[in-house]
Amino acid sequence: MVLEATMICVDNSEWMRNGDYTPSRFQAQSDAVNLICGAKTQVNPENTVGIMTMAGKGVRVLVTPTSDLGKILACMHGLEIGGEMNLTAGIQVAQLALKHRQNKKQQQRIIVFAGSPIKHEKKLLEMIGRKLKKNNVALDIVNFGEDDDGKTEKLEALLAAVNSNDTSHIFHVPPGANALSDVLISSPIFTGDGEGGSGFAAAAAAAAAGGASAFEFGVDPNLDPELALALRVSMEEERARQEAAAKKAAEDAARQDKGGEQKSGSQVTTMTENAGASASEADNKRNDLTDEDNALLQQALAMSMDEPSSEHNSRDTDMSEAAAGDPDLALALKLSVQDGTKEPATEADMGKLLADQSFVSSILASLPGVDPNDPSVKDLLASMQSQSESQDKKDEDKQPKEEK
Amino acid sequence: MASESASVIQRSQVDLLDFIDWSGVECLNQSTNHSLSNALKQGYREDDGLNLESDADEQLLIYIPFNQVVKLHSFFVKGPEEEGPKTVKLYSNREHMGFSNVNDFPPSDTVVLSPDNLKGKPAVLKYVKFQNVRSLAIFIEDNQSGSDITKVQKIALFGTT
Repeated sequence: MVLEATMICVDNSEWMRNGDYTPSRFQAQSDAVNLICGAKTQVNPENTVGIMTMAGKGVRVLVTPTSDLGKILACMHGLEIGGEMNLTAGIQVAQLALKHRQNKKQQQRIIVFAGSPIKHEKKLLEMIGRKLKKNNVALDIVNFGEDDDGKTEKLEALLAAVNSNDTSHIFHVPPGANALSDVLISSPIFTGDGEGGSGFAAAAAAAAAGGASAFEFGVDPNLDPELALALRVSMEEERARQEAAAKKAAEDAARQDKGGEQKSGSQVTTMTENAGASASEADNKRNDLTDEDNALLQQALAMSMDEPSSEHNSRDTDMSEAAAGDPDLALALKLSVQDGTKEPATEADMGKLLADQSFVSSILASLPGVDPNDPSVKDLLASMQSQSESQDKKDEDKQPKEEK
Repeated sequence: MASESASVIQRSQVDLLDFIDWSGVECLNQSTNHSLSNALKQGYREDDGLNLESDADEQLLIYIPFNQVVKLHSFFVKGPEEEGPKTVKLYSNREHMGFSNVNDFPPSDTVVLSPDNLKGKPAVLKYVKFQNVRSLAIFIEDNQSGSDITKVQKIALFGTT
């Protein structure tokens, strides 16, 4: 968990137009930069990363060291290619930017992407390297792109001058099938100088390698057993909850089947997909349950469960198709969907529904602890009926008025 | 004789080693194998074979914070005759100095060490300038012979709290 301030020097010279790295050298470089920023901020949230260009209009700092990942990614977005890279000026400006970092306790590091030929002398580079070492700045060099004679030698000399205690590294990335980012992921830039790997690096490496040696959830159980355990437990709980939801959905689907709707097959699958359960479970549950009233209640319950609004809407469409053959069911659905809205239509519907004595009594019969033959319940029903009748009268009054 | 006069000067002064806040001690441009602890820490500094050596060039910048406010009276540097330090600048209460800003403000005191000093004679400082020292930066600018590496065997600070 090294606390570090990093300046990334990006090469945006004309040489970056070449396509020997897919899709282009510049794109590959951008991807690598994005990955590095993510890795650095993840390994320690107080780490800061800054970006600057070495070519283009000139050596320019785009973002001073910050821990805000959004800012960093945004500035990589509009970069233009052109000009020639100035390595020494770039490194010196990076060093200056690091000197003025806000948190002086951070270790200083510069990451240089050297893609174009280097026109400076080896001696000059060595001098720069020694200056960096004197000021305790580490340097990582990514040697890719152009490979003219002397470039590798110069960069190695620079590394030798800077390196103290193996904190500085150089990476040679030849052009080819492997993307620049993939090669770098397995390098000490990401793995933090051999500390044992951050979760980010492990996950990214897993994705790159096709998940061959991936840890579950991207967290090494050896590094952080409690976190791995917590993740596993919550995953299992979520699965169990979704299975329970799927069971209910499947039961509802069985009710719709009883209604004789042919489309229910597809609806069942869509509904179960919404609930996140497998189709096989739905097939098994379809043959259970015979009580139609129970089904209505189940649907109401399912609707009132915590579902995202999009799922809710899709369920509406599915349900409405199924309910075409069953008017009572349609009313019940409307009520449960429009719960909370104060449209007169719903009230009218409500009145009609309650007026349907048989429906109400059947509902009440299935409610535990309520006896429809109880006189108090009967009184209540009678009062509700009269209310609904008066509402109907009001609606009728309103309508002729509106017409006028 | 030299040691007697040394003890006379330091009569009321104590070695400030106990007041150094070791977590914040830093040294720029030190060589990895020959680090600051060889010159500062008890036991290591008595051993003349263990030195603090400079790395890329002959300059060294040592930063020593204290865990309380101290008054600095004198300091004592021991080193080999040729590669021992010559010009030493001391800055009190300046944090996070780098080689680029040592020339930005005047030092609290400048001492040019003679070969005598390197053998054991402490250098007395301008006491009035060091009354309220929370941290000390020692900038070793060059060495006796002008070689590329500066070697320091022992650094000791004397004063009162």
